[in-house]
Amino acid sequence: MGQMQPEKNTYRKRGLLTLFFRWLSIGIQSFGGGSATFFLINQACIKFGWITEEEFLNAWALAQLTPGINLIKLTVFIGNRLHGWRGVLTSLTGLLIPSALVTLLMTAFYSQVQSIASVKAVMRGILPATIGMALAMTIRMLSPILKIAIKEGRYRFGIHIALVVITTIAMAAEMVSPLLIMLLTGAVSILLFQLTVGSVPQLEGDQPG
Amino acid sequence: MNIWTYFWIFLKGSLFSFGGLGNLPFLHQDLLLRGWASEADFINAIAVGQLSPGPSGLWSISLGYLTLGWLGGVLALLALTIPPLLSLGVNSFYQKIERKKPVKYFSRGLMLAVIGLSLGVTWSLSKTAITGWKDILIVITTIGLALSQRVPVIVILLLAGLVGYLIYGI
Repeated sequence: MGQMQPEKNTYRKRGLLTLFFRWLSIGIQSFGGGSATFFLINQACIKFGWITEEEFLNAWALAQLTPGINLIKLTVFIGNRLHGWRGVLTSLTGLLIPSALVTLLMTAFYSQVQSIASVKAVMRGILPATIGMALAMTIRMLSPILKIAIKEGRYRFGIHIALVVITTIAMAAEMVSPLLIMLLTGAVSILLFQLTVGSVPQLEGDQPG
Repeated sequence: MNIWTYFWIFLKGSLFSFGGLGNLPFLHQDLLLRGWASEADFINAIAVGQLSPGPSGLWSISLGYLTLGWLGGVLALLALTIPPLLSLGVNSFYQKIERKKPVKYFSRGLMLAVIGLSLGVTWSLSKTAITGWKDILIVITTIGLALSQRVPVIVILLLAGLVGYLIYGI
């Protein structure tokens, strides 16, 4: 797809260079975790007309379903749409080089200073906050699913809660491989949700369209 | 330490995860088991990963550095970029089957498992990160601030660092 005519070569090269610097600026500016990066990519899509808002939302939804970091998948999708595999490579290096380098430098710096008493004290505050961030992320992932589950009736809701509790314990016990836990939970879900189809109050399959 | 095994552990984590801390359960189990990383490496890497720019999923680059220096960081970065490249092919396949009921049920189950895994790992990590009731207060405050979505992540973490300094540093 996207065959390029020979005379467009210089245009393309310039296009790739511009693309690289645009992603680079996203990569440098995106302090403060994924939400900042997401916001900047969305902004760039609108500003530079990379993809439409609808394509953007679609790509983001699909990114949730395939493996890997969602923001990287979004970058791959946009890069591919703009310039094929060259666009993918350009966008990825632009986004990741600064962030990865700063992450590495910060870690290197941290390993140098981690034994200083005041740094230890600061980290003793940051580490519990990291746990808090992880829990907040989990709550944010879980709440939309539970909202759907409540509408599906008491049995379905109970199944959801039970599966989360069981997988949590299985992981905390550190005896079962995470992959096995995921596959088993998926398989058990097919079975349990199929069995409880009758208990769902006229919900599934009655959406218009 | 076998470099290929090391790289495969990171790649596997990335292949079977769905962003953010999704690769944490895999890395946590495989690296701890072999003694290639300590519990402290994990919690420190996650903390640095949250403070640094870019997607929060980049935390494993920091883990790579803590466990194998610059090479570890580069390997971790490579492992993070390969699976998203595959997503282009998977997308079109998934669009064909996503409406089938068993697929819906399966992916719902996967989501629940991912949440459970992340809770389980957080539990393990909290044994290192949380030492008393003051730390629990920090955890609860962070959850509240993060869920309110009004305070940027970086500000929350810097505040927590300041609180840590005031409690433990003076």
